[in-house]
Amino acid sequence: MFLPKSSAHPLSSLSRSLRLDILEMINHAEFGHIGGSLSSIDILIALYNSDLFNFNKDHFILSAGHLCPALYVVLAQKNIIPRQELLTYGLFASRLQGHSNLDTPGLEYASGALGQGLSFASGLALGDKSHHTICLTTDGEHNEGQIWEAIAFASKYHQGNLINIIDVNGYQLGGSTADIMPMGELASKYLHFGWTVTTVNGHNFYELEKALKTAKSSSIYPACIIAKTTFAKGISFMENKFEYHDIKKLPEEIYLNAKKELEAKK
Amino acid sequence: MKIEDCRLKISSIRQAFSETLFDLAVKNPNIYVVDIGLRPSLYLDKFAARFKSRFIECGVAESNAAGVAAGLSASGKTVFLTSFACFSPALNWAVIKQSICYNQQNVKIVGSHAGLMSGDLGATHQMLEDIALMRCLPSLEVFAPIDALEMKKMLPVLASSPRPAYLRLFRPPTIEVYPLKLSFTIGKSHLIRSGSDITVLGYGPILTQLFSDDFKKFSLEIINCSSIKPLDSETILKSVKKTGRCLVIEDHQKNGGLGDAVSNLIVISGIKCKFIHLAVDDSFGQSAKSYFDLYHHYGLSPLAIIESLKKLLSKT
Repeated sequence: MFLPKSSAHPLSSLSRSLRLDILEMINHAEFGHIGGSLSSIDILIALYNSDLFNFNKDHFILSAGHLCPALYVVLAQKNIIPRQELLTYGLFASRLQGHSNLDTPGLEYASGALGQGLSFASGLALGDKSHHTICLTTDGEHNEGQIWEAIAFASKYHQGNLINIIDVNGYQLGGSTADIMPMGELASKYLHFGWTVTTVNGHNFYELEKALKTAKSSSIYPACIIAKTTFAKGISFMENKFEYHDIKKLPEEIYLNAKKELEAKK
Repeated sequence: MKIEDCRLKISSIRQAFSETLFDLAVKNPNIYVVDIGLRPSLYLDKFAARFKSRFIECGVAESNAAGVAAGLSASGKTVFLTSFACFSPALNWAVIKQSICYNQQNVKIVGSHAGLMSGDLGATHQMLEDIALMRCLPSLEVFAPIDALEMKKMLPVLASSPRPAYLRLFRPPTIEVYPLKLSFTIGKSHLIRSGSDITVLGYGPILTQLFSDDFKKFSLEIINCSSIKPLDSETILKSVKKTGRCLVIEDHQKNGGLGDAVSNLIVISGIKCKFIHLAVDDSFGQSAKSYFDLYHHYGLSPLAIIESLKKLLSKT
């Protein structure tokens, strides 16, 4: 099949402006998980801007709650939360908590402790078989044993309406995922547990949309989409540096340089 | 109720649980069971056979099971998460905190085989920390029936409550003491006997030891605190104000148990009161053919209770 990888996808410009939103939000809060937010943002954009799912009926479960900055900017882009509210992220009495919380409109699951979302998503998919439940997990999160319990469970119950997208950015808080706890290749493990697996470039909207479409059409097999991404994608000097897993106050110069890079791409 | 009315019939709390749940599920198609590999032990074979699509077997994977239960609840189901207390809520506490409580899901966590009462199974299975673990979680309510009769009264009330709850069950059959006409109300205690000298508080079958004739010589006000959280503080404080002496007995660690909740309540109220807490004192359980041997060893037997009552009544 012909995939016009080189030509710009209509969502590419959105990708650039939402990256800038993430930076502004985190810089203003002087807190936030920037590396994973920038690696997963394109996955969320594809999910919320394709016509494949209707999140008034279908369900989205963010398992890795620390990626909420990426979700918040997408919810603002979809007018589910007011854009000006983004600057309250992580502040006292804000609906936009440092880790996702049910007070945020459009959120069905509050998370922060890793490894729990896929179980919740499986339960939800079991109770609402007429719609799809899509879960977003990360590669580092697969250190958690509970994820593997959920993988077996979804297969046992033939959860064709369950999709787990894994943001494989290769890094976690203290280093590369390969150094901290090598889990080996995830695709074959999911296959052996009885899932269907598609591996895509997690920054390529054509590939993401195609994989989501295939996953949606699965009848009795839960579907796993392995989205290979770049940690802190878009800000060259942060890319693939685990120190940018989460940040406190950014030095002015670093912030301006990051902003300049993202604006230039705009 | 008079102590003499005690019917001395023996029955199983967990059997009463499964039978009542079955009856509720016949009427209510929203009731689901998420089981953690212990179906026969919880007498759930009949439920599993009759309600195939509403009996979800997770295998011995407590964390996933708690998450699945929460997700099912998010789709509008009333979910009973069934296991032994030493596994659930012990192994999956953080999932109960986040996926159930923080996400406001209507899951009833059922922990059977709690306390020293699980007898020969030994320390790993004698869950003595569940009340402590569950009491501290925001929004979670905590209950333990005194016998099979209270179980039957309690379960429909819990099933129709929209809030998450922990329900502590026990392994061996125990005597029936709960008044047939009494209904169960969340946040209300059950006055077993009125008296003027000492308030005795507890929950679960351990409290039925006080139905023996040995205790007739004392003027005891015995209160069954089966609603451990929310606690019936009004009734407790009223009684303690009257007696000025309080004994709390529980098949649980001292730390974090009902005794902690009650002593805290009394201190804050400013009521002057002599206080003794009989519970397992910072140690592990062990095997025994009869749990009465364990109650004797850990200072929870009728003998130990009488000794404590005497101490409370003494002038010193």
